[in-house]
Amino acid sequence: MTKIFYILKKEFLVMGRDVHALAVLFIMPVAFILIMSLAMRDLFETHTVNQIKILVVNQDKSDLSRAFVQTLEKLGAFSLHHMDDESGFDLIRHNMFQDDFKFALVIEKGFSLAGRQMILLVKPSVNRQTYTILKNTLAANLAKTRIAYQLKGQEEMLGYAGIDIDKLMQPADTLIETRYVSKGKLKFKVPTSVQQSVPAWLVFSMFFVVIPLSNTFIAEKNYGTLMRLQSMNISTGFLLAGKLLPFFIVNLIQVVLMILVGVFLVPLLGGDALTMGDSYGGLLLITTAVSFCSISFALLVASIAKTTEHATTIGGVFNIILGALGGIMIPKFVMPDFMQTLSVLSPMSWGLEGFLDIFLRNGNVLDVMKESLLLSFIGLVMFSVTAFIIRKKLSL
Amino acid sequence: MIEIKHLYKSYGKQLVLDDINLSIPKGVITGMLGPNGAGKTTLVSILIGIMGRDQGEIFIDGLNLDHRLSEIQTICSIVPQNLAIYPMLSAYENLEYFGGLQGLKGPTLKARIDYCTEVASLQSFLSKRVHKFSGGMKRRLNLAIGLLNNPRILYLDEPTVGVDTQSRNYILEMIKKINREEGTTMIYTSHYMEEIEQVSDMIAIIDEGHLILNGPKQAILEQDFKVSIRVCELSRALLDRFKGIKAARVQDDCIRLTRDEDFHDNLIEIFSVLKSHAVEVIDIDSRDKNLEALFLKLTRKSLRDA
Repeated sequence: MTKIFYILKKEFLVMGRDVHALAVLFIMPVAFILIMSLAMRDLFETHTVNQIKILVVNQDKSDLSRAFVQTLEKLGAFSLHHMDDESGFDLIRHNMFQDDFKFALVIEKGFSLAGRQMILLVKPSVNRQTYTILKNTLAANLAKTRIAYQLKGQEEMLGYAGIDIDKLMQPADTLIETRYVSKGKLKFKVPTSVQQSVPAWLVFSMFFVVIPLSNTFIAEKNYGTLMRLQSMNISTGFLLAGKLLPFFIVNLIQVVLMILVGVFLVPLLGGDALTMGDSYGGLLLITTAVSFCSISFALLVASIAKTTEHATTIGGVFNIILGALGGIMIPKFVMPDFMQTLSVLSPMSWGLEGFLDIFLRNGNVLDVMKESLLLSFIGLVMFSVTAFIIRKKLSL
Repeated sequence: MIEIKHLYKSYGKQLVLDDINLSIPKGVITGMLGPNGAGKTTLVSILIGIMGRDQGEIFIDGLNLDHRLSEIQTICSIVPQNLAIYPMLSAYENLEYFGGLQGLKGPTLKARIDYCTEVASLQSFLSKRVHKFSGGMKRRLNLAIGLLNNPRILYLDEPTVGVDTQSRNYILEMIKKINREEGTTMIYTSHYMEEIEQVSDMIAIIDEGHLILNGPKQAILEQDFKVSIRVCELSRALLDRFKGIKAARVQDDCIRLTRDEDFHDNLIEIFSVLKSHAVEVIDIDSRDKNLEALFLKLTRKSLRDA
């Protein structure tokens, strides 16, 4: 126990005096959480729709065309800006580019009659999905407006037939209720950017122990400290375990700090507050597994690298690749299917899924068991390889 | 104290220690001299038990290294060639860490830290972070850490590398003092002959994995010792007188006396004869005790060029 105390004391003193290590371990992830939580807020927002700006030119000026425009306005999904009804194509195009409108809707004369009805002008840079959604919305509402227009004046007769025209014309979205499903209990949470950012950058920062750990370890290896420790009858296993415990504590501090940032700091800056699940056992399990895997990875890099510069490059580059692949930098749900499949190759993805299970899906110990076992297994493999390499290098 | 028998060690196909046999008595400082890559650090690493070997037996204080390693490591210590210290920690924190890992604690640890810092003259710098130390101070701290467990055997692997002459002399004096006061057996490796001459009781010369010479320093340095006595004129009768002295060679007006067991008697006799015949002595020249010359003679190469 005394030896462990001195190891912990040394590691924390060395780390505490290394400003760069502190910045990488604590300041960098906090900054990422704050930036990404606020920057991606709209991407996750489901209640306040980001309105699509559309220029409207109603050349038809009939009751039907006016009713159609009103229907669109009521939807709340569009921000309609009316131009003079006599505006020509050149003026519309000019306004589109001058005022950054991606769409312009021209309701031509004769709209209330059959035949050609309206023209949708679209900028080439428009996202294909947005275009499709807009086109389908226009078509659906046009059909609805036409029916309403044709049924006008026949309410009494329809009433006799038991048809409530108001109910019939009710906006379709009020008929749909959205429910989010979770793995565990029947509770659900609305996914927010902070629910994604905190676990993502938390996992990323936990893997960044590779920088301070490899710096210390390589210095110990190259400057004879490991040799001195070995001559003091301290085994390779104890030396490596002596790295696990202090950096596990560092990882625990990171988890607590990032959660506090998500719960208290992000809302202060206008973001949503992080809500945690209620399985502290599950949280501890996934934290331990991610920590073991990240420290083993750091030890492996430190054992392979010859210099601290070498280790920083290998560790940094690997972390960024694993982070990009594992859904840290870009949420997995916005990735195409094949990239989502590829993401399972990254241990960071397993860690992220585990934390999302706890924070977002109200998962418990059993729900994070699969990810935890995978992380522990790969961590054990890396730890064993490291022990083999170190033993071999020291005994040469 | 240390017995090495038929020790072999190779790195892959390269043999780095070839049939080393060495016996080091208790309480002496053995200077292990050899160029870089001669096998000195490898030998020390094997003796401290952190490196394996191909063949051979090693006994430390009567204990077999293969079977009693952990016991041996408690009575031994090493001062590595590199500065095995933490620059971001203070001198005290370094000493406390290494002492703590050796099982020292409480008042015992504090007492050892006090002793070691006093020996190394670092009392005034205990709270200062090591990265602010001069090269000499870092070396002294490196040595002080090696003394924490009060070792009976201390391996010093080139402990003065990169320090100025003043610091080097201080460290050498420190080593001699520890040896004198604590009776610590030491192996001191270096490729600096002056250091080996200054600090050692015994000398072992190692080159390309071979132990080419070992023995008491005085005997080694004096085995090739000669005195040349130049006189004004030597008569035939005098020449005949000197023929009886086997170690003496006379050429022209110079008498050369090689060191042997009768060296002092021979020297007295020569001077008595010269005095009785009133022969004027022009010059007396003793061949300098020179380890470099000896190394050159043994290996046919200069230490610094090796």
